[in-house]
Amino acid sequence: MGRPSHPVAALASQSLFGPPKWAVAWLGLLVLVAVVAPVLPLPYPPHVPDLAHIAQAPLAPGQHWLGTDAQGRDVLTLLVFGTRTAVFLTLPAALLAAIIGALLGSAAGFWGNRARVDISYGAVVAGSVWWVLRLPAPWLGGVAGALGLVGVATGGIRRRKLAFRLPLDALVRGGATALDTVPRLVLVVALAASAGSISAPGLLVLLTVTSWATPARLVRAQMLRIRTLPFVEAAQAAGVPAWRIWLKHAIPHAIRPLYTLFPLSLARLLGLESTLSFLGIGLPPEVASWGRLMASYRQESSAWWLFAFPSTMLIITILSLQKLTNSRK
Amino acid sequence: MGRLFLWRLLRTALAVWALASGVFLLSHLEGDTAVELAQPDLAELRTTGRASTLAARQTLDLATRHRLGLDIPLFYVGTHRPTSATAGQWHWNGLPNQYHRWLVGLLQGEFGTSYRTGESVGSRLLQALLFTLPLTGTAATLAVLLALVLAQRLAARPGWHRPVRGALVALQALPLFVIALGLLLFFANPAMLVWFPSYGLDQAVDAEMGVGEQLPFYLWHMTLPVAALTLSALPELTLQLTAALEQELGAGYATTARAKGLAERAVIRHHALRNALLPSLAQLAELLPALVAGAVVVEVAFALPGMGRLLAEAAAARDFPVLVGGVLLIGAARLLALLLTDLLSLWADPRIRWQR
Amino acid sequence: MYRVRQNFLAGARLCLAIALLLQGCTAKRRAEAPIKIRWAHDPENLDPMVMANQTAIDAINLLNCSLLQADFTTNQFAPALAEALPTVQLFGDSLMRLQYTIRPEAAWDTGRPVLATDVAFTLKLMFCPGLPNAGPGGQYRFIREVLIDPRNPRRFSFVCTSQAVEYVQASGDFFILPEAALDPKGELRAFSLAALQQRPASAPPNAVLEALSRRYAAAAPGQTPARLPGCGPYQLVKWEKDRYLRFARKPHWWADRVPHRPFVLQARPAQLEYAIIPDAATASLALQRGDIDVFPQMPTREFTRLRKAPATRANLNFYTTASYDVVTVGFNTRRPALSDALTRQALGRCFDAAGILQGSELGEGQRTVGLLNPADRLNYNDSLAPVPFDPAGAVALLRRAGWQRGATTEAGWRRNSSQGPQQLRLVMRYRTDEQLFATIALQFQAAAASIGVPVSLQPTESGAFSMALRNGEFDVYVRALRGNPFMFNFTPFLHSQAIGAGNNTGFSTPESDQLIAAIAAANTAPRRAQLLRRFQGLMQQEMPLLPLFFLSNHIAAQKRLTGLHPTSLKPGFAAMAIGEAAAPPTAP
Repeated sequence: MGRPSHPVAALASQSLFGPPKWAVAWLGLLVLVAVVAPVLPLPYPPHVPDLAHIAQAPLAPGQHWLGTDAQGRDVLTLLVFGTRTAVFLTLPAALLAAIIGALLGSAAGFWGNRARVDISYGAVVAGSVWWVLRLPAPWLGGVAGALGLVGVATGGIRRRKLAFRLPLDALVRGGATALDTVPRLVLVVALAASAGSISAPGLLVLLTVTSWATPARLVRAQMLRIRTLPFVEAAQAAGVPAWRIWLKHAIPHAIRPLYTLFPLSLARLLGLESTLSFLGIGLPPEVASWGRLMASYRQESSAWWLFAFPSTMLIITILSLQKLTNSRK
Repeated sequence: MGRLFLWRLLRTALAVWALASGVFLLSHLEGDTAVELAQPDLAELRTTGRASTLAARQTLDLATRHRLGLDIPLFYVGTHRPTSATAGQWHWNGLPNQYHRWLVGLLQGEFGTSYRTGESVGSRLLQALLFTLPLTGTAATLAVLLALVLAQRLAARPGWHRPVRGALVALQALPLFVIALGLLLFFANPAMLVWFPSYGLDQAVDAEMGVGEQLPFYLWHMTLPVAALTLSALPELTLQLTAALEQELGAGYATTARAKGLAERAVIRHHALRNALLPSLAQLAELLPALVAGAVVVEVAFALPGMGRLLAEAAAARDFPVLVGGVLLIGAARLLALLLTDLLSLWADPRIRWQR
Repeated sequence: MYRVRQNFLAGARLCLAIALLLQGCTAKRRAEAPIKIRWAHDPENLDPMVMANQTAIDAINLLNCSLLQADFTTNQFAPALAEALPTVQLFGDSLMRLQYTIRPEAAWDTGRPVLATDVAFTLKLMFCPGLPNAGPGGQYRFIREVLIDPRNPRRFSFVCTSQAVEYVQASGDFFILPEAALDPKGELRAFSLAALQQRPASAPPNAVLEALSRRYAAAAPGQTPARLPGCGPYQLVKWEKDRYLRFARKPHWWADRVPHRPFVLQARPAQLEYAIIPDAATASLALQRGDIDVFPQMPTREFTRLRKAPATRANLNFYTTASYDVVTVGFNTRRPALSDALTRQALGRCFDAAGILQGSELGEGQRTVGLLNPADRLNYNDSLAPVPFDPAGAVALLRRAGWQRGATTEAGWRRNSSQGPQQLRLVMRYRTDEQLFATIALQFQAAAASIGVPVSLQPTESGAFSMALRNGEFDVYVRALRGNPFMFNFTPFLHSQAIGAGNNTGFSTPESDQLIAAIAAANTAPRRAQLLRRFQGLMQQEMPLLPLFFLSNHIAAQKRLTGLHPTSLKPGFAAMAIGEAAAPPTAP
């Protein structure tokens, strides 16, 4: 860890050892299945209950290869459509959460509470908040915002003097803490109040918003250490701007813990989906997902096939993703 | 150092207050549902029991609102008063508002009374906490210790690294309730093994027994829940720590240590572990509040009267005093944990300085 | 204090794990073990005025007595505190006088007799300001006055403002509370019942009433029922929140002195314990191991599985009774597209009630034409047929309702009406936590899609579901209505008065309003039966609600228990009548 390798050189050396073929093959298969799911010749449509065969075991007389769930839906079909959800919803959510978490966490760790920001940015933010909340005399907010914009446009000259300290670290940690403390409980209240049930894009936002905190915390902790390493100090001494050091040199090192975390966070997100069902928040049944298939095991504790198949798929996916990220190290 | 610590503590207290206020205000926006749920159930086809005309309904709503203390404005300022029609304008609502009442109560150590039961929230939370802490505390301690041991072994002996890591990933892929139900169906099922009791704490634990008899009984009841929690927390901790250790072992100082002739075990224990722990400490910080929050899933599956179940039920029933009290408690635990992590990372890596 | 110590000690459990291994786990079963019954959740509040939920009602039932109580052997009301069913006298065309006499043996735990003044006091409490009495206050408004016989302090008459048949029994169905515990000086006697009932909310505060409500709040009967002791056979010995409640039989209960004790005054178990186990799978395991004795309201599939397995069949008894819970679909008649009966009838034909009953409930349950249970031979309209599953017929009905199908399948159904063009697309809501509702919703969605009606499903968290129903934010919903055999007043659900209150379909026609009012006022049972039959026909015609089927109620209990008296009434069995067979259980 002590030697700062240039990221470009690192990349070049990595490309010699490609990721294992089976991992790529499995992930490719998942994406393919997700894309062609609607036109696949599946024996049963996805959301039609087979009332004559409810909670059937695999290969039972009902002609359902992988059995049916407690509503009589075909497990194979649900798995295929669950793959679609995993590829187009859960995976992007995990990626988005990791990226947001990495950016915020590394910024918080790098600058701490000492980042100096020109006052005009503050004026823009304060002005727009004033305007949005329609506090008395909204034009005040408009004026403040406009002044701020002018300041930003002409900024740079007096930056040193008219700046305030942005407690970035406190803000990020506060946000992460608030989100982590509140969600799963008040989530029930807040979400149920807003819509009563969640749509697919809503789920994407929800998953991202509730899960960026963990990567942020990990990256921040790592960044605290990176910041003190000699190469950062050397870069500072050489007069490289702080944001360049942060983006080009510090982040590639600070996000190391995410390589392990990212594949696991997929399981965590699917777990969150099933917890939502557990707490009685409805996802529309059109959004089939592995997590919810596993959750339906709760109603039928003798139906092992409800969790065995989706969790097998999840395990293979996590292992493939781990292989992929490991080979990138 | 002492002054810095005090300053951090003060800031923590402020953050807890802000968090609880936010939850208070957000949840009370949904007062209508609380009023609705506090009334007799509509699905009950009783003779009446429920207002049968619109006017009667409004009277009943008003009475319920008054009983729950939801009939006064929410906050010092608001966008509209219930009586006036000019929405969108900010008003000063005056001191008698729900938030003020709550805050004053809080300063006097009063969490309020539960909507559902009329009990004092403080005593209810304490009761649940006294139950939850030993359960989750044991599970967390076990998970951390196991993770430390496992990660050191895994990093030292890449030979059986692969199958164990596969098993850990498999464990991670199972939702907690599958683990809990699986344990129950395997170890508490007359059709399989009957080693452990099937549900939490039955009355036997309270029976008139001596402490010597009671303790093993209690432990016997707690084994499966603790096992479920430990198993669910273990994979992520272990895998993270292993990865960090492996990375550290590739670093220059580890090579130097090996060149000095140190055994691999010693390199790990004396050199790499401390550095590798740093990101994991951040994860540990998440464990403490989780201890307080309890684990809804395990508590439901094993019929344990803990914090998680209490808060989940409070959320479902819109029992805001219990909910806000719980969030206050968890928030405090979480922020204290963060403070603790900072102290720990200071210990693990003295290069990190306190930042103001 | 016990818990504190116990939890403190638990912290040291790692060190003492060896003790566990050495000592083993010898659970000593006491000779006098309580009968253990599973509850899914804590009753939370045992206030006899609130009666928060079914488990609370069951618990309060052990602690208190009412004048009349449901007899599970006959499914009829039978006299409990009262000597006999009330005698009925009709006055004019709207007044009715019901005369009761309290049993001479009836007494409070202090030895004081239960008198007519206690009854009058309880009724007045229901209208006292400041008490949590919104529920009973709405229910017993029909009793206008209590006339106490000056010669016999145990005899009294209720003056009722209606002659409806159902009020005769309803008048005795509330728990009598002791006047001496709350109002030792008898200050409330100065107020008449009518004065309290008509007291406006804005009336100036009254010192006596305020003192009473303070005393009630101080007694906190919701948490400490012992401070407002009833005259029931049991007392609450221990209540550990979210864990268990234990009740012990009073050693000297007044009814022990009643000659020829009727069924409703039986109390056989010396101890009853209700174990709170939220998860059904856990509770089922506990039952199989003998940790609990009775598992009421068992999920159908688990019940069937245990009944078929040889091991459990040998140890357990299985009971199935019909219940009064009816799975019902509701249409929002305020929506222009659903405002006509023909469209609702067409959609009603998209529900495969028979298929769902067979698939999800394994055929255990009963299809119905209306809200009345088919077991009610007198009132159930057996000349009607249940709505069939018939998508082709639905198409024909939609055409008759003026809908036209678009050229493509995606175009759906459209019609032009006076309010402008309409399109038939529906939002269906149901509570997330019930598997059965999800199945029904999916089946309906698939069937509707097959005839070109798009339905989007919105499973909703239960609190939000109540709000959505109240605010009319749905097109179709499915839920279970919990009924009982004594309820025939549909005013709160289907009358136009109740729109905005209990009538969440928004349905009303002048004809149905008249019929509902006539049923509520009918003063003989045959007349009421005739009206009810017409009402069922009308409702099937108009279809604001479509009752699909009545669920059945499953109880599994240990073989050694006898006298459960499984019944259709809640909670499904008679806990107080359970006995234990002396002989060890034998294989069937």
